[in-house]
Amino acid sequence: MIVSSGREHLDAGGLVVKQAAALSESEPVLFQLREKGLEAAHLLELATRIKPLLDTSASRLMINERADIALLSGAYGIHLPENACPADSIRRTFPGLVAGQSAHSREAALDSMRSGVDYLIYGPVFATPLNERFGPPKGLEALGRICRSVRIPVFAVGGITPERSFACIEQGAWGVAAMAPFIDPGTLRKTITTFRSYLPS
Amino acid sequence: MKLPRRFLCVITDEHRCPVELARMALDGGAAMLQLRRKQASGSELFAWAIRIQELCRQHDAIFVVNDRLDIAMAMHADGVHLGQDDIPAATARAMLGPDAIVGVSVSNVEEAGKALADGADYLGLGHIFPTVSKDKPNPPLGIPMIESVRKAVDLPIVAIGGIGADNACEVIGAGASGLAVISAVTSAPDPTAATRELVRRVWL
Repeated sequence: MIVSSGREHLDAGGLVVKQAAALSESEPVLFQLREKGLEAAHLLELATRIKPLLDTSASRLMINERADIALLSGAYGIHLPENACPADSIRRTFPGLVAGQSAHSREAALDSMRSGVDYLIYGPVFATPLNERFGPPKGLEALGRICRSVRIPVFAVGGITPERSFACIEQGAWGVAAMAPFIDPGTLRKTITTFRSYLPS
Repeated sequence: MKLPRRFLCVITDEHRCPVELARMALDGGAAMLQLRRKQASGSELFAWAIRIQELCRQHDAIFVVNDRLDIAMAMHADGVHLGQDDIPAATARAMLGPDAIVGVSVSNVEEAGKALADGADYLGLGHIFPTVSKDKPNPPLGIPMIESVRKAVDLPIVAIGGIGADNACEVIGAGASGLAVISAVTSAPDPTAATRELVRRVWL
């Protein structure tokens, strides 16, 4: 799973559209549009614009937080932060959307699963400068405990590299999520292929 | 759901507990509450919205959520209030249905006409006067803009921006159906009394 940079409002030079264009010719991935700095109208515009690009490769578009924008843009689903609008009410209101949620603890992971989300993103598993605000890295063992505690797919996030992906999968993760390795649209396809070689098919 | 002929809308600020503020404003006679908290998380907004909607039902007042159509839909709010950079009003109307209240922030006749075409129920027109509540790069619109929009577009106008007891009558006199306030109520030593005084002036 690829997470967008969150810098689109800072004149990122259309990075998201360039990423989506690269993904249109790559192996399929989940692409999470996470641009908190964008106003809703611009986010909706951007989502609507990249959706057909992702469709070309059967990649799926997930919208961070805003289920209304996910529905309106025809996205595959919604990704809820841990402190989002409750997942069960989102599920009831937007039954057609796949819903994932971030969890940073075992309690949060269990709550998410019970409220009916389809998958979890758990982390940060490894240290990165970007996720310091979520506290120290949880480590592989904690990832393993989470994966054994829930019955839904878990994506590992935080400091993910192709080499580390394999260790996450060994702990029971269903996949991995990352932002930084995919930030260069020029090498995006190659990076996905490299990741794939470390992941079960 | 129908808008009153004249009304006061109280908008939450970034500091006070929105539920507490809503309770005080409703006790003072506010006919509309708008939850607007740009820095809050979705879970906070949802929890506040549920409680404010319940209070508004008890007071026969209208509750609208600023910007977050997803939250308004998830907790069945009376409606939404949308800025020019939010989800388009026509889209919100299509999602919420004909009975919901849809308000749109506008600052000129053109945006007001668009809001009417999009199916809005009222216009939030502002900012009319200089205001401390929001960072505003543009100069205030002044009273004449209320008259211009009033003549051009057949929708209730809710004037916003620097509105207080001192200028409320002037704004209503120019053709506004309602007033929207933040600091005039939230910064008052007694928000209930401040609301009551503004409501009185709306009907003068």
